[in-house]
Parts: sequence; C-alpha cells; structure tokens
Amino acid sequence: MSMDRPIDGIDGRTEPGPGRSPAGAVPGARIVLDNVVKSFTSAGSAKSVLALKDVSLSIEDGAFVALLGPSGCGKTTILRLVNGLILPDSGTVRVSGKAPAPGPNAGFVFQSFRLIPWTNVLGNVAFALSATRLSGAEKTERARRYVELVGLGRFAEAYPSELSGGMKQRVALARALATEPDILLMDEPFASIDAQTRELMQIELMRLWTMRRSVALFVTHSVDEAILLADKIVLMGPRPGRILEVIDVGLERPRWSYDLRAHPRYIELRNYLWERIRDLVMNDPGSDFYGRDLGVMSSSGRSD
Amino acid sequence: MIALYRLAFLGLLIFLWWVASINVGRNLVPSPLATFQAAQVMIGEGRLATALWDSLSIYLSGYAMAIVVAIPIGVAMGAFRVLGKTVELYLYGLAATPRVAFIPLVIVLLGLGFEAKVFIVFLGAIMPILINTYAGVLDADEELIEMARSVGLRRTRIFVQIVLPSAVPFVIVGLRLGATIGLINTVVAELYTAVRGLGGLLAIYGNTFRMAEYFVVVLTLAAIGIVVTEALRYLETRLGRWRKAA
Ligand SMILES: Nc1ncnc2c1ncn2[C@@H]1O[C@H](COP(=O)(O)OP(=O)(O)O)[C@@H](O)[C@H]1O
Ligand SMILES: [Mg+2]
Repeated sequence: MSMDRPIDGIDGRTEPGPGRSPAGAVPGARIVLDNVVKSFTSAGSAKSVLALKDVSLSIEDGAFVALLGPSGCGKTTILRLVNGLILPDSGTVRVSGKAPAPGPNAGFVFQSFRLIPWTNVLGNVAFALSATRLSGAEKTERARRYVELVGLGRFAEAYPSELSGGMKQRVALARALATEPDILLMDEPFASIDAQTRELMQIELMRLWTMRRSVALFVTHSVDEAILLADKIVLMGPRPGRILEVIDVGLERPRWSYDLRAHPRYIELRNYLWERIRDLVMNDPGSDFYGRDLGVMSSSGRSD
Repeated sequence: MIALYRLAFLGLLIFLWWVASINVGRNLVPSPLATFQAAQVMIGEGRLATALWDSLSIYLSGYAMAIVVAIPIGVAMGAFRVLGKTVELYLYGLAATPRVAFIPLVIVLLGLGFEAKVFIVFLGAIMPILINTYAGVLDADEELIEMARSVGLRRTRIFVQIVLPSAVPFVIVGLRLGATIGLINTVVAELYTAVRGLGGLLAIYGNTFRMAEYFVVVLTLAAIGIVVTEALRYLETRLGRWRKAA
C-alpha cells in the first residue's frame, strides 16, 4: 500500500496530542522494539503484506499498555513478536535485554480462547506449567489456585465444551497468569464475550493485575477499554501497520472508585482517540468505511 | 428407551422376513423358525463354533496387524511432511485398487492357508486406518499448536500432547472402516483360498441351496459386525468424554 496520499492529522509525531510520550526505543526498558519490519506472504499468493513498518516502542516494567487500532494494523503481530513466536524481517525485538523466546516468562491470552478441548479446566491451566521445573503436585496445586482466583473453582473438572464464553475466557486468563510471568500479552481477550461479562472481566483483570504487576500488553480495538485499563495507549494505523502515537492516559487508579466516564480527562481522551480512528478508517482505502461520513459513529462505541 | 425401539424394530424386521418367506417361497427365503431350528442343529453339532473360531482368528489377526502397521506409518507421514507428501499419492492409488486384485498374487506367495487369509484381511483393513490416521495428524489445530509453543513446549512434546490427541477421532473412524472392510475380506479370503470358516460354510450351503443354514451364517456375520463396531463406538465415547453430550 503506497503512502503517497496525504492524510490529515495522521502523522502523530508532529501533531501534539494530549499527553504524548516518546514512541521510540528507550534502552533499558523491559520490552524494546527497534525499527521492526514484518511482512507476511500468505499461502497461494505471491503478494506479501507489510504487517508492521518501522515500529519502535519501549515499555517499562509494571506498565499496562494498550495497543489500540482498527483490525489489520499489526497488533497481534506485535504480541507474537514480543513472545518470540515469530521473528522480525529487520529491526530488533528485546525483552529483558534478550531476544525473546516463548516460555513461562510470558503469558499469552489469545483472541480465540485456544483451550485444549480434551482436557478439563484444571488440565488446561496446568498445561501452561508444562515447561516449568515444578513437580506434578506443585503444578496441580498452582493450577488449582489460579482456577480459584478467576472464580472457576467449582468448574475445575469441567471440559471447555461445557463452559460459556466468559468462563472460557477466564480459563485462558488463568492459564496465562499461572506461570506468574513477567510479561502478560493479551490479544483482544474480551472481544468475543457479551458486554456485561466484559465489564466484569475488565474489573477482574485489573484486580488480578494489581496483585502482581507485570508488564501488560493489551490489544483492543475498543477506545473505552483502552482508556479504562491502560497507563499508556499505543495508537496504531493499518496498511502498512505502524504506530501513530503513544498517549499517557494519566487517570488515577483504581478507576472504579470514581465515575470515570464523567472525568474531563476521560472525555478529552475519548474524543481525541475517536477523532483519530475515524480519520484513519475513513482515509484507509482498504477499509469498508473508506470515504464515508462516520460522524454518527463517534458516539456509539466501536471502530469496526 | 432406544433399546426398546431397537427391539421393536428387530421385531418388525423378523415380521417382514416371515412375510417374505411365505411369499417368495421356502426354497429361497427360509422362515425365521426354520432358520432358528437350523441354528440349533449347527450349534449342537459344533459346526458353527468351529467355523466362527476359524473366521474370528483370521479376522482379528489380520485386523490387529493392520492397526499395528497402519497407525505408526500414518503418524510418521503426518509428522514428516516431506515423507507424507511423497508417499500419499501412491497410497491413494493403492487404496482405490480393489484388493481382490491381489488375491492370486497372495496365493502364489503365501499359499491357501491361514497366513494367506490373514494377509488378505490385513490388506483390506490397513488402508482406511492409515489414511485416516494421516489425515488426523495433518488436521491438528494450528492455533492450539501455537498456544503450546507459546507455553514453551518443544516440537516433540507438542506432537505428543497436542497433535496426536487431536488425531484420535480420525483414527477411530479409520478403525471402524477398517473393521468393516476386514470382515468383508475375511469372507472373501475364505471363498477364494482354502474354503473354511464362515465363508466356507456360505459356499457349501449356498451351492447346495440349504437356505436356512445359509441364513444362520449370514446372521452370524452380521452379529460379528455389530459387536465390533459397537466396541469401537464404546471406545470412542470413552475417549471423547470431553465432547458435549448431544
Ligand atoms: N500469518 C499470517 N499470514 C499472512 N498474513 C498475515 C499473517 N498474520 C498477519 N497477517 C496480515 O498482517 C496484517 C496485520 O495482522 P495482525 O497483526 O493480525 O493485525 P491486527 O491484530 O491488528 O488485526 C494483516 O493485514 C494480516 O492480514
Ligand atoms: Mg488481531
């Protein structure tokens, strides 16, 4: 996709947004992406997709960072790179100063729950401990503790097919937390569950995360969810996937102790992010909404 | 409840059989009663037991051999993609060739006895088991595999803990198909080689128009088929407890 088309207000590095912070690579941070390029060639097609173009990002310890953007802007790809599941074409990815390798140091909550269907809840959570040095009894004990922690104690012996979407999501969360990882990677974990359950799960996640503050990278395409959960919001754009700007949220925690949605900062951020995403989607020739007036959508929740 | 329906259906079948036996003529379709009496005589003389034992030993030996050979090859083909891609074409070709075509060759190589018969059963049962095992290994969920990688598991353990278990339902389908074809080939082998066992009885009674005895043999074969497929179905539900009860 060529970038010869001038797009208003897309270049976040020159336009001052509310509370911007540097997006570039800061050495010494827990997670550092430096000029990362990643493209994919899908099977059966000679054309390759540029999933990430020149992405640089630093995340300090203990930060909760939301990756926000419409689909196709490389959010999942960043998580997979940080987990060491895939390698960048060029540029570097460092986690704790080293090239990342999959393992118990990072917990991954996938977009589709990815539970093992022939294993019960306890077994699914214990599976995350497969590559640890814990003994069998310790694994079971630990798994049981995290199953209880997400409120599924009574369902420890149930199979995934017997659980609701929200419960499956809890299992996936328990599995990611069970290794007590330094890094928590979450890919739209609440996108496929209903609104009420989602709100409860967001509170639940905050509770669990504050108990043991790891670095959290949370992918979402919901503006509200990003503001609700994150210290920093990384706003991304599609075709090619890239970082537009990084915004400090600057809202006090815990955010459930006051009416967040009435807070002037919340309103300011929400309007700003909506504006940006609306421009993005409307000016992206690959989007369904290309060239349409989406003025009505800014008050109604979702970007795609 | 379903057991009751099945019994009622059996009653209906026997009734239809009885109607047929009256209308078609006793020489072609024996009455249920005549068949029952013939069965009593055959069981009393021990003729049925001998034939059953003959056939079962051939059937089960050939089937067991097919399982032992097919599953490892299918797994290996799925595990090593190059091997699978290289061999699969020939395998599908072989699977499409009627196995009866090999019988003269088998007789030349192994004679007319037990070994030849077992080998004919083996030839019939091996293909569906092998092909389904291979398909099952290839069908493993890429997303689950990535999840296992993310947890830090290496290739071998992912294969054992994710890929193989997800192939089990396919393998069982293969086992079921293999069991059916194996039974068919048992009878075929007994007809084409030394005439013995249940297939042998079929030939004898068929050629002499002793239809009541002939029916007893047919029903015995059907019973074997039911027992084997039900056993496999039991295995399937035991292994598939994690599926939501329908
Ligand atoms: N494994 C893959 N094979 C081919 N294309 C891919 C693959 N993964 C991602 N892509 C492409 O890269 C782009 C970014 O994908 P992704 O990181 O999944 O975006 P997001 O998570 O923001 O929706 C998309 O255009 C997608 O189609
Ligand atoms: Mg995604």
